[in-house]
Amino acid sequence: MTTRDLVLAALFAAIIVALGLVPPIMLGFIPVPITAQSLGVMLAGVILGARRGGFAVFLVLLLVAIGLPVLSGGRGGLATFVSPTAGYLVGWFFAAVIAGYCSERFVERSQSGIVQITGFFLAALLGGVVVDHALGVIYLAYVTGTGLSTAFIGDLSFVPGDVLKAMIAALAGRAVMVGYPLLPQRA
Amino acid sequence: MKTLYVEGDTFLHRLSPRAKLLGLAALSLVLFLVRSPAVLSVAALLGGIVYSSLRLGWRQSWLRLRPVLLTIAVVALFTLVFNGRHDTLVVVTRLTALALFAAAMTATTSTGDFIDEITRLAMPLERLGLVRAADIGLSIGLVIRFVPEILSRYQAIRDAHRARGLKVRPLTLAVPLIILTLKNADEIAAAIDARGIRAQK
Repeated sequence: MTTRDLVLAALFAAIIVALGLVPPIMLGFIPVPITAQSLGVMLAGVILGARRGGFAVFLVLLLVAIGLPVLSGGRGGLATFVSPTAGYLVGWFFAAVIAGYCSERFVERSQSGIVQITGFFLAALLGGVVVDHALGVIYLAYVTGTGLSTAFIGDLSFVPGDVLKAMIAALAGRAVMVGYPLLPQRA
Repeated sequence: MKTLYVEGDTFLHRLSPRAKLLGLAALSLVLFLVRSPAVLSVAALLGGIVYSSLRLGWRQSWLRLRPVLLTIAVVALFTLVFNGRHDTLVVVTRLTALALFAAAMTATTSTGDFIDEITRLAMPLERLGLVRAADIGLSIGLVIRFVPEILSRYQAIRDAHRARGLKVRPLTLAVPLIILTLKNADEIAAAIDARGIRAQK
């Protein structure tokens, strides 16, 4: 990694931390507040690509592990890694990597706007919703001894919010690509 | 940013970070293999004793443990509905024990000690050519340094919205914030290289 890559990842990690400190944003049409941190994870992959995005999220998880209260609501410390929802937290890393990898595959600078947005949306959806929720559900089911299906039902209520975040990540990813392109191109 | 570390001179403070990390890892393995509520209750009680030996006071302890205890409570309720009483007891005692020991570890290990330990643990990875161990400490320093800056930038963008009578939306907030922040990367990278902080060995 070049120094620039390192700095980009560190800056994005700082953005993810900052997103945990700002008050949750209420959207008009769904009743749950949007906590922006998991949006930041999708954005890391979509904007920086697999390698740097993954490193950014890895840094955030490292900050959590060494006892800084950087997660939304001031959570932090090793206890969050042994809590029943730790699968979602560790899943963030894989979410960013997968979202980044898919973005590098799906999106090219020569494509039209709508194709780019669709590509980013699919990438964010695969990483941030499919992969992250799968890991979260598996760990939750394992820890509690409830079946996978029960854990999955509990998980479903969080899916709409995260799909919405994937949408926002796609739009933001495309806007950043137009304004300040960073995503590595993969043939 | 205030860390969850607490100054002190208890036995746990003096124990090396590596011993604590390995101990916690071993303990979590053991706790997941044990299925007897009696043994797990003893573990949770021990966790409570260790945690209270840090003398944080009730209020501080509650504030620190609240998020994880709330999650455990929700999961316990779920387990009670679907799996019955025995399983719930196992889950609650196991998770509470783990949470208490992990929180005790966090409260007794300073951020600097942690970074040193992580750098040492990353040395084998460096030999494989995957990362440079010193980069981890450098990046963590960068993140902590830039969080306040990003927060003030966030406020500036929000104020700009207000001044123009625009509604604050996630998209119109996130995009300028990200572009403004990442545009600094070149300057910061140049500054780091100019000072030879990442000099080739």
